[in-house]
Formats: sequence, structure tokens, C-alpha cells
Amino acid sequence: MKAPRVGIIGIGQSEFKAKRDDANYPELVREGVSRALGDCHRELEDMEAVVYSLAPDALLGIGNAERLGVDAVGARNKRFMRINTGGATGISSVITGWTHIAAGVCDVVLVAGADKVGESGDSQTILNKIWDPMYERALPLGTITMLAMSAVRAMDKYGMTEEDMARVTVKARANAARNDKAHLRKPVTIEEVMQSRYIAWPVKLLDACPQSSGGAAMVLASERYVKENKLDAVWISGVGHCSESYYMGDRMGNKIMADHADAHALGQSFLRSYKMAGITDPAKQVHVAELYAPFSNTEYHSIEAAGVCQLGESMGLMREGHFDIGGRIPINPSGGTLCTNAIAVSALVRAAEIALQVWGRAGDHQIDGARVGIASGNGGDHQFFGTMVIES
Amino acid sequence: MNATEIGICGVAIHAPQRNDSRSLEESIYAVTWAALRDAGYDIEDVEGIVVAGNDELDGRAISIMMASGSVGGVDRDILSTPSSAEHAFVLGALRIASGQFTNQLVVGWSPVEVDSFNDALKIGTDPYWHRALPQDELATHGLQASVLENMVPGIRKTAAAIVRKNRMHGAVAYPDRPLGPMEEAFIASGKPTRWPLTDAMVSPPAFGLVALVLANKEAIAKHKNGNLAWIRGMGWSTEPGFIGDRDLSKLPSLEAACDQAYEGAGVKDPSNAFDVAEVADGTPYHELLAYEGLGLCPREQWNEFVERGVTARGGRLPVNLSGGALSFNPVFCAGLIRIAEAANQVRGRAGLHQQPNVKRALAHAASGPAMHYNTVVVMEGAK
Repeated sequence: MKAPRVGIIGIGQSEFKAKRDDANYPELVREGVSRALGDCHRELEDMEAVVYSLAPDALLGIGNAERLGVDAVGARNKRFMRINTGGATGISSVITGWTHIAAGVCDVVLVAGADKVGESGDSQTILNKIWDPMYERALPLGTITMLAMSAVRAMDKYGMTEEDMARVTVKARANAARNDKAHLRKPVTIEEVMQSRYIAWPVKLLDACPQSSGGAAMVLASERYVKENKLDAVWISGVGHCSESYYMGDRMGNKIMADHADAHALGQSFLRSYKMAGITDPAKQVHVAELYAPFSNTEYHSIEAAGVCQLGESMGLMREGHFDIGGRIPINPSGGTLCTNAIAVSALVRAAEIALQVWGRAGDHQIDGARVGIASGNGGDHQFFGTMVIES
Repeated sequence: MNATEIGICGVAIHAPQRNDSRSLEESIYAVTWAALRDAGYDIEDVEGIVVAGNDELDGRAISIMMASGSVGGVDRDILSTPSSAEHAFVLGALRIASGQFTNQLVVGWSPVEVDSFNDALKIGTDPYWHRALPQDELATHGLQASVLENMVPGIRKTAAAIVRKNRMHGAVAYPDRPLGPMEEAFIASGKPTRWPLTDAMVSPPAFGLVALVLANKEAIAKHKNGNLAWIRGMGWSTEPGFIGDRDLSKLPSLEAACDQAYEGAGVKDPSNAFDVAEVADGTPYHELLAYEGLGLCPREQWNEFVERGVTARGGRLPVNLSGGALSFNPVFCAGLIRIAEAANQVRGRAGLHQQPNVKRALAHAASGPAMHYNTVVVMEGAK
């Protein structure tokens, strides 16, 4: 069935920081909401449904914390549901908002959330609790050790080096320096990354994302609503999800669905989005990408899963500046998740940043001529993937 | 919602017994396959999945992760709605209505391994103001009952009668499940758990799971599914987060959800529109609020309505023939079970508690503190 057109009409983001002790959790949610509503000149009363973007309760220390956010998003007596696919939650929530409109239930939907990862204490101790309590929690797995194993496999399979990883951080920080919403904005050199301490070999401190606090929101609308209200919009033309296995041990083989160097399910998700959007050659048709990569090494397999180059090619193309602002396909011009990671909304911000790019409203990190962009989110133990194509 | 017709073609409700040693993952697998078998599906036929579990009860930070293998989520499009299990049903239906899927598998579960069930749910309170209070989810139900007892004379006796009614229904529906007390005097005057609720006015948390297969007309024709429950109307809504901001004697979110569902189904007079209903009954006061919110009976007539046996087996509108949550209470998925039980009534597959000639059924799910989330579904059989 032909996908109905759903527009993005409003976007709001906090300035992300390590701590936001000036705002409690609902206030932080409201911050993104107020900015998104202001962006499209709508009121809370105009919203017909709310999709709430919130990953693990444990990071906030409040069970079903979405209930505390009901009034912050103006959802009282309205359609409301929360989505959680771990780090992919933000993009899954936008896709769920898209679904509300595509299903013909609503014309205007608010998607919103916030996180206070920087105030959670130690997020890795909390994230250890995503693993099986009998077998894997005691190892001790965290999202860093998990993706360090992916890096080791990529080193073996594709010859990725620690300098290759550092190069991603250098690009990300240079980009984030141009984005006033980003958390880590100080440019770094390859030498500085290489000299930072190991967290889980080969991942070093500067290969890893920060623990960020902040909120983000997006207002989606049907094509009819956009036209009737003479609004400006960019359009979601493709959406998709796909999942990997849960147990890490199931990914330690060399089968196509079980190679920890790659992101097979992310690739499948992109194929679904591309099919809906009519994209047959992403390397030529996509102008800009915001790919969820919380650790430097994971940007490589995300680029390859997005189909903008072949498996194993991304390191060489990164060295040639292919993915820089000004390169052929800029990747994460906002600085990406590597510079800002408020987990509940990180993937929402990926979609928001692509919307701003194809809108021509991305400010100092605007990519000239961007008309087609892609966004992704990764969640769980690199398990849940959501993807989206957004066009002007 | 789009004109897409969506039917429920597979249902499984799983209530593991004491001697069932299967893990949560194995139980999720079992209920998934039972629903797929009921629909005549293989996992390869499933295009998308929506699941719902509660991190605090599951003891995991993102419980969908553990479940994704058991429900066949690997290499598939899977989402989770931790706000409530009934929201998974809503999203499953929306995903089909969007035109991007022809079918969806919906799975919810609620284990009981936690040392203190009420403390696990109490983490859902605001950490600064309310967590220090003895305000767990059951306490919010008690506050709600207290308000209603003060407003409606004679309601306590009626509440006890509802408990007895639903447990009588449960004894017929699932004779192998243990039942709580049924003597009305004992129910009304027994040991308080959260005043004015007595221990006998609620059922202890139980381990339960539920799965449904939803499909559009083309997929139903392809699989030659009979025994269908067509979704004719669906609504969902929420109360505000802070108990102090609410009038606990009323449920405006239920009225909003009803408006959505009844508009979709073309229901003008709900009091005469349904052959059977499954409604939220975490406490008997929930069922009373459901009568009013669903437009079945105003509070001024609650006592007479129940006394006349309108909602009992053989009455004009039997409510909770399955026994409801007052008989079997897997807290997090009890709402989704209400939808599944109502669907089975329409499908003619409710088993021992099948009501004859059910053409249209009403399902109401509520979850969270003092019925925070309300979801309403109207289903019909083949015309």
C-alpha cells in the first residue's frame, strides 16, 4: 500500500548538558515540547495524541516515569502511549507518531521525551541490568564492553585501527563545535583521542559518548492538516525497524545475521525504509545522514548498513574525508550521539537533525543542498534498529 | 481510523500453575506459539510484533530485549509499549491500519518473581514527594474506593457482590485456577489491606501471559481464518500523573476513550449495545467506575444494577464472565487479557464461559495507579 505523506512541522531540542539540575524531569520534557510547539506556532490543545519517548525507567529511577510526564506534554484525557526500544526509542517513537497519522486516527501528533542520564549516577551500572540476570550480568557486560567486542571483531575482519576509531571522534567533535545544542563541543585531535584512557579495549574515553541530560520533541501532521493550515513541513517518506538476537553469544559467529562486526538488522531496517521511500541507490540518492553511533567504532558499521558504501569500505572513505561536512555524504553533521547522548531522545534528535537539514534550518552545521536525509537509532544490546528517510 | 478492517484471529491466555517450571522466556514462547497456532500462523507469517512488559516486575532494564527472541522478533519489526499491555494492542491495530503491515502479533506478560510486588510498583511514584508515603499502586486503589464509598451510600455491599459475582464466573470459566473468598460478608468485613479495601476485595498478583494475532481482511482471507473478532472501535486515553491532581471518583480519560471507540463503532446507546463485556476490575470499585464511564449504568443506579444481576451470568449484560482480575490478576497484562477474553466471546471460543450468540462485545482495560490509563475496544463477529 502506498504510504501516506506525514509531515514534520515542529522541532524542539534542549541545549544538552551533563547536568540539568535547574529543571526536574517533567520540566525537561516540557522544554523540548515548548520549543517544538513554538516552532510550528501550535498549542498543546492542538495536539490530538502524544507518543512518549522514554527508554529504561532505571536511568531515571522512576518506574513508568512517562506517567509523571503526562501533564508536561499536555496529554491529559488524550491518546497517549510510551515507546521503549532502548537507544532506538526516539526514532521508534517518531515512527509510532507517523503510524498514528498514517492509520487515519489523528492529524497532529506530538512526540516528546527527555532524559537525565548525566544525573543517573553511573549509567553503565544501570545498563548492565539490560542483560540476562543468570548468565551475562555477572560478566560484567555494559554497553561499552559489548561494543568493544564489536570493535575487536571489526579490527580482525576489516583491519580497523584505533586511529580509524579516533578519526570518527575528531570529525564528530569538529561538527559538534558548530552545533549549539550539542553536549561535547570541544574539538580534539587524533593524538588526544589516542592518549585518552582505555575504558574497554580498544574503546577509549574519547571514543565514547557522554552521559547527557536534555529533552526533545517533534510535531507531526497529516498532509491535509499541513495544507489546510498553510504550514511549512518536511516529509517522512520511509520508516522501518528490524531486530537482532538478544544473547551476545549468538552474534559471535561468521554468519550473516550473527557477525558482531556488522549491523545486519540495521541494514535490513534501512532496506525497509528505502523501499517505502523509493530509494534504490542510497550512495547517490541520500545527501546527509544522522546515524546513531554512541561509540566511534560503531559509526563504521552503521555507515555500511545504511548502504552508502560496501562492507569494510567505510574506514578508507572516512580517511579521505568522504563523510565530513563538505564531503560526499556528511555523516552526523550535528556531532551525533558520540557528542550528545540523552538516551531517551538521542534517536529522536537524529531524526530531528535530519529534518532540520532537509529543511535548510540546521544553522552552522547545515549541509548545502541537502534534500534527502536518513536517520537511525540503535537500542538494547545493539539489538533494536529503527530507520527513517526524510525529504524536503 | 482508516477504513481498513482489522480482525483478531488468534488468542492465547496462559496461566502457569505452581508446578510449571518454565522460565519467563519459555512461557512467553509458549503463549506466542499458542496464539499463532490458534490463528493458523507460522512465525514466518508474522510481519510485525508489539510487546509489553514492565521493567520493574521483570527485573530487567529493558524487558523487551529478553522477550524478542521468544516472540520471534529476530530479523523482524518489533516495538514495545511499556506504558501498558493494552497499548501494545492499540499500536498493533494502528500498524495494520497504517497500511504498512497485514498482520501483527501482540504479546503481554506479568511475572511475580519480585520479592515485594507492591514495592516494585511503588518505584513509579515521584521520588521527592510521594515515594516516602505508603502510596503503592494498591493504596491508590484504596483511595479511590474511599472516595466512592463516601459518595455512594450502600456501595460497599455492592462491591462485595461484584467480587462474589466475578469469582463465581471464574469458578465456571477456569475451574483449575485457585479462587479467592466468595462469601460477601467476609469480603466486606475481612482484614483491610489498603483501607477500605479488604484482602478479599482484591486478588493477589499472579503470573500470566497473553498473546493475540491481528490481521487485515486480505491476510484473514489468505489464512482462511474463521472465528473472528472484528475491531469496530478503539479508544485510549490517560489521566494526569499526580494523584493529587485528580478527582478519583471520576475517570474523564475513560469517557474520552469511550468517545473514540463508540464513534468508530457507531454506538449510540451503550447501555443496550453489547451482548457481553470484559472490564477492568482490579478492585470491585474499578468495575463500578467502568459501568459509569462506559455508559452502562450511572452511579446513582449502581446498587440496583448489581443487585438485579444485570451483569451476572444470565443477566442482560454479563460482565467479566472470565472471572476478571478479581479471579486471576496478572497485574501488568490483566487489561490485555480483558481484550483477549472479549475477543474470544465474539469468536465463539471462550470455552466453558462462552455466552451464546455474542454479536458485539465491549472490552475495557485500565492500568496504573487508580486506573491511570483507560482503553476501550468494541468488537463484532461476522455479520
